[in-house]
Amino acid sequence: MDKLLRDKKAIILFVAPALVLFTAILFVPIGTSFYYALCDYDKKTMTYNFIGLGNFVRLSKDPDMAIALKNSLFFLVFSCVSQLIFGLLFAALLTNINKGRNLFKNVIYLPCVLSSAALGLLWAFLFHAKVGINNVLGAMGLPQPAWLYSTAGFITLPMWVIAFVALWQYVGQSMMLYMAQISGISKSLYEASYIDGASKVQAFRYITLPLVKPMIGTAMSLNAIGSLKFFDLIYSMLGDKTENLKMDVLATYLYRTGFSSKGGNHYGRASAIGVILVVLCLLATAIINKLFKSENYEM
Amino acid sequence: MNRKAVSVLLSLTMGASLLATAPMTAMADDEVQEITWMFWDELDTTTDLISLGFKDVIDRFNEDYEGVYHVTPITTQLEPYYTELNAMIAAGETPDVFIVSPGPNLTDYVAPGVAAPLDEYLEADGWKDTFSSDAVFSQQTYDGKIYAVPLNIAAACCYYNKDIFEEAGVEVPTTYDELLDACAKIKEAGYTPITISAGTAWCLSMLAGYLCDREGVDLAAINSGEESWVQDKTIAAGEKLLELSQYFQETAAGDSNDDATLAFAMGDAAILIQGSWAIGQMNGLDDEIENKCGVFQFPAIEGGNDPNRVIAKSDSLAMSSSTEHPEAAIALMKYFTDDEAQKYTAEVGGKIPVTNVEFDLSVAPAQLAEVMEIFGNATGTFGFYNESLVSSDAGSEFDNQMVSIFQQEKTPEEAFQAVEDWYVDNGYRSAEETE
Repeated sequence: MDKLLRDKKAIILFVAPALVLFTAILFVPIGTSFYYALCDYDKKTMTYNFIGLGNFVRLSKDPDMAIALKNSLFFLVFSCVSQLIFGLLFAALLTNINKGRNLFKNVIYLPCVLSSAALGLLWAFLFHAKVGINNVLGAMGLPQPAWLYSTAGFITLPMWVIAFVALWQYVGQSMMLYMAQISGISKSLYEASYIDGASKVQAFRYITLPLVKPMIGTAMSLNAIGSLKFFDLIYSMLGDKTENLKMDVLATYLYRTGFSSKGGNHYGRASAIGVILVVLCLLATAIINKLFKSENYEM
Repeated sequence: MNRKAVSVLLSLTMGASLLATAPMTAMADDEVQEITWMFWDELDTTTDLISLGFKDVIDRFNEDYEGVYHVTPITTQLEPYYTELNAMIAAGETPDVFIVSPGPNLTDYVAPGVAAPLDEYLEADGWKDTFSSDAVFSQQTYDGKIYAVPLNIAAACCYYNKDIFEEAGVEVPTTYDELLDACAKIKEAGYTPITISAGTAWCLSMLAGYLCDREGVDLAAINSGEESWVQDKTIAAGEKLLELSQYFQETAAGDSNDDATLAFAMGDAAILIQGSWAIGQMNGLDDEIENKCGVFQFPAIEGGNDPNRVIAKSDSLAMSSSTEHPEAAIALMKYFTDDEAQKYTAEVGGKIPVTNVEFDLSVAPAQLAEVMEIFGNATGTFGFYNESLVSSDAGSEFDNQMVSIFQQEKTPEEAFQAVEDWYVDNGYRSAEETE
């Protein structure tokens, strides 16, 4: 084996297929889309014309882009904060119960493995103007909110609704990550703290939280990237109404700009949105890593 | 037989079998020409009668041409249709035949050469002579060449529920003021006066188009830059749109086109302003609506434009310029315009046929006779506003601004100024016009 690992030809031979495949389906398209971001696509001639930073300048003045950016940042903050709180809470609770732990764990994690498109349609029915929840509210004589079509407010009601659905779907993933970390903490640390007179809350505050901190950074980075490229739930719940309902996020705006019959076929501008999305993902990950940088303790 | 001989024999058998399948595959390719057809409704789940008629055409074509041609439908819903079609074109997988609306949508496929000219096929065996007139191709013709074949004509009208009108004690309105009075009385009677979709922006935009036309807006002059979008007539139309919106269903902002049509078909709302394609849809949703439903043309605005102008639209089929099987594609398109399909269009689907086919109006949906009367009395037709502007992007901007008026995010002045600004920003106004 050592001999093989010293053989550079063998290494190249083994790495080459994966490298070629990755280059062809990942690096080349990424590089191409960076180039397209600097071009204007002409619908009539189906050609790309180099315009430098023209797409970025145009996007900086575009009110729809401002809405998409605002909504994406809202999802980012909401998702990071809510999944941290609820994920940690569920993880702490479930690691402290013996009866029904697996049942609750599976129930909370289940939405993660289901199709977002199917879940989106399901929740769209539940929050429909006339059926689902509103039907029940109407039968009880209560007001029927415009769950998925209100445009009032800086952060509209549909934004909160979809953010809640996303939390419901993905909180299980955060919970599992935190549970894995908490399970690795030695019981002796807790026993020692209880002997010293610590309460359960104090043990959580002074033992669990510091030792879970590295995982918070990882889970939050995943949440941040996931919420910035958030697309499937919004699209399956609102379809092409995102524009008129001011519900675009960066990914839906990218899709509309690139492919929609309503203002679509602007592949250069769509690529520029993609570049902005990548930069935001990198930025969010860097900030989170800096905030949650911690030393590794022996657990 | 020794082991070596067995292995040689087996290898030869395998090689021979591989060689034998090759000509068979080639023969199969030669025999059946596979094509795709893209359409904006789900054929297996739809209740729309026109779509069901198209499903029959596909089945009939595959049956009649079994072993020669075969078409596979690619279906989607109306709202994401062009999005998905554009994605397929971008991926180099343009469907051989696809449905398209005339106007800027078709232009988007004609200009880059995605759609093929069809003149040689139309002229070849008298196919063109089966159409009612050359005028049916006017919206599909570019530089004298025909790029799509119309399948039917639909006129946008106002459908009303006779029972609700009777209960509310209102007559069919012929003027805008009468329409407002009727809406007020219907509302008092406890019904939704008008059901419309603002979630699907083109529905609201169609109403805005009618209001603009009745006010006398000269769209050609605006498109050419002779007039601005910001003028008394457009602003008056915007104000009327806002005025009418108080009579829309409460959920209009989020309702889709299907939601709005369903509300009318189920008798929850009194008036539906829609194209005559809605006849097939509403009759498919509820059998009883056919007898309850009357049709009137969009009311006149006193002191405004000719009130007998009608919004007309056709579904058209285009053929991909990159199709490998043009014969199969043309054969399929002919099935959509043959007597059986066109008769179905009128007698069941409730749309106006484009060919000289004879059909029995008495078996057609009751609403069609009224639509045909309105269409026959029309002094002129015009297209959907969002499909009659300088580009599909301009149409999209118009749609969005009409929604912003409805949602009271912008005043009519601000909304039409935004459309005008779009024309300026996108180079559709010369320097002199912008000064």
